[in-house]
Amino acid sequence: MTKTKTASTNTAPARPRLTALLGAAAAVLMTASVQAQAADPIKIAYNGDISGSPSAESGQIGVLGIGAAVEDINKRGGVLGRPLEFLVRDDLGQPPKAIQNMTDLIDREKVSVVFGPTNSGNALAWKHIANQKRMPVLVSSASSTAITEGPSSGNYLFRVSMVDREQAAALLAYVKKNPEAKAVGFFVETTGYGQAGLKDLEQIAALHGMKPVSIEKFDARDTDMTSQLSKAKAAGADTLVVWAQAAPLGHLVRSMEKLDYFPKVFTTWAASFSGFPEVAGPKLMEWPVFLTTSSERKSAEADSLFARIGPKLANPSMFWAASQAYDTVLLWAAAAEQAGDTKGEAVRAALESLNKPVAGMVKTYDKPFSATQHEGLTAADYHWSRWKDGKVVDFNDPVLAGLQPADFKK
Amino acid sequence: MLQAIIGGLTLGSVYALIALGFNLTYTTTRTLNFAQGDFVSVGAFVGLGTVGVLTAALGADAVGYVWLYALAAVAAALVMGVLGLPLYLAAIRPFAGKPGMSWVVSTIGFGIVLQSAALSVWGLGARMLPAPFGDEVFRIGEAGFRSQELVVLVLAVAILGAFDVAMRRTAIGRCMRAVALNRDAAALMGIDVPRVMAMAFLASSALAGLSGVLVAPILSASLFMGVIIALKGFSAAIIGGLTNPRGCMAGGLLIGLVESLTALWSAQWREIMVFLLVILVLAMAPNGLFGRKLVEKV
Repeated sequence: MTKTKTASTNTAPARPRLTALLGAAAAVLMTASVQAQAADPIKIAYNGDISGSPSAESGQIGVLGIGAAVEDINKRGGVLGRPLEFLVRDDLGQPPKAIQNMTDLIDREKVSVVFGPTNSGNALAWKHIANQKRMPVLVSSASSTAITEGPSSGNYLFRVSMVDREQAAALLAYVKKNPEAKAVGFFVETTGYGQAGLKDLEQIAALHGMKPVSIEKFDARDTDMTSQLSKAKAAGADTLVVWAQAAPLGHLVRSMEKLDYFPKVFTTWAASFSGFPEVAGPKLMEWPVFLTTSSERKSAEADSLFARIGPKLANPSMFWAASQAYDTVLLWAAAAEQAGDTKGEAVRAALESLNKPVAGMVKTYDKPFSATQHEGLTAADYHWSRWKDGKVVDFNDPVLAGLQPADFKK
Repeated sequence: MLQAIIGGLTLGSVYALIALGFNLTYTTTRTLNFAQGDFVSVGAFVGLGTVGVLTAALGADAVGYVWLYALAAVAAALVMGVLGLPLYLAAIRPFAGKPGMSWVVSTIGFGIVLQSAALSVWGLGARMLPAPFGDEVFRIGEAGFRSQELVVLVLAVAILGAFDVAMRRTAIGRCMRAVALNRDAAALMGIDVPRVMAMAFLASSALAGLSGVLVAPILSASLFMGVIIALKGFSAAIIGGLTNPRGCMAGGLLIGLVESLTALWSAQWREIMVFLLVILVLAMAPNGLFGRKLVEKV
């Protein structure tokens, strides 16, 4: 009895003590778990070319932009209270390596989002993986139109960069509106990039009812385009729309000088890559007009970012690559905060319905994406640019001032 | 038309220099340096580096740029020529004179090592080496030329001529011809055959490096530019005859003209026409237009 009593006596106060102990242990464990989660970083990654092809230049600068955004977000407390950990994977410009990186990042590293790539071909090679594994991808550089095309039910690719079709729409809108452009010629590379560009140009020209007087092609390794230019000259072309990488574009303007034939030249953002001024030289590099996502820095934030990463840029005129990459991180972070989660489905849904504007380096993004629209920047957002005294500056003229949204047929 | 002819002869003369390099190594060792393209590319960058270093050391206006460019050309020829020796020792000597084609892989491998090392130093981008006599365009009628095209044409023809004379008049030239004619007999006559073989690789690599500096102001230097130049040079050697140095030179000029004149009609047909010509010549004269059949005892 005594025993029982004792036991009972002993047991009665022991229960609350045990409960209290268990409770304390649980609290400690929960706190530790919360602390562990708070300290547990969210992995984000860049998968793109930073060493293998001439386009690697935009990849290297994009990584600097993403790194700066990660630094800024971590300073203000991270995303959902967790710091960001930034992984960089070089795909060397090779699709097989890019696919390998992608599966490694998703399956082994368990990243929450992938940024990049640099080369369109690599994005097209792995975009099905991102869609199947529900991995949000914010494309920060590659410009092929088809990258963001996907099933409306499961398209996880978004972009804050140039889009080839949009560039073609912008260039031809200008040419159509320009009364001095009476005969237009298309000059394209024989690469996949050039051929896809020609297809976009031809389709959009048809929408405008325009017929090019000359369509000429050249190899990306060509250094003398005088024969193609002679034909365009004979056909009376006064305006050329060119779809080529930086170095062949440089050789094209050098060939124009040899023939003393200087039609107006409109081209893509490739003209802002270092290879173009290097090959064209200080005088001829000022001839073409081209598109970028940001030419001159116009905000204090952009100046501040430039002060941080500008000294690391071999070609400061490619600062746009850092700006747009910086913005991809801000947009993803805003979507994750809005969703309260970093899971692919939740982030994708939030990206498609961002309820607060995001102030980025290129622009303020007010509902940039929807279920059917995954392009953060479109033709009307592009900056018209040209080289002047070694810098990329804004290009302005009355034709440009008169362009209306309806002119951008696509 | 005049523009196409001058342009074709300019590039053709560079193909001829490369073809001559193939001839030198083939006749003396029965092997070819498949890294020749990488020697062209890296040679151009050695030239660029030399100009940079000299400008930094002496100041931009210390001596005329013509002299800087000349020194860069000499440096590229020397550096690439000296690099031809390890190529010979590591990738050719163990396999020369033996059956099998191991030297194909070993020379390609040497080229990849060279290119990768250069990529880590100079990166991927295209660079323009300024032309020694300026970048202005001269006009003859409607055709326009840059001074460097004429420099390349004149220098390449002069070098080809000098080689032709050296091969016939100098002791080392005669030794090379003797080794090419009959290796065993040359050895019996007291000629140091391995030394002559090494000299052939040195000369061939130096020619490739010099070619790189010559074309860099026209084509812009990139570490990938050499592949197509070497391929055309090899085609020139095949067309002209790998065993005949003068044939190789003629083959180079012919290929340059064919691709340039084809471009007048359709630029996309240039490569097709060049390699159709190679196939046609090989079908009609398997040893090239001026080559002779070499009997290899195994």
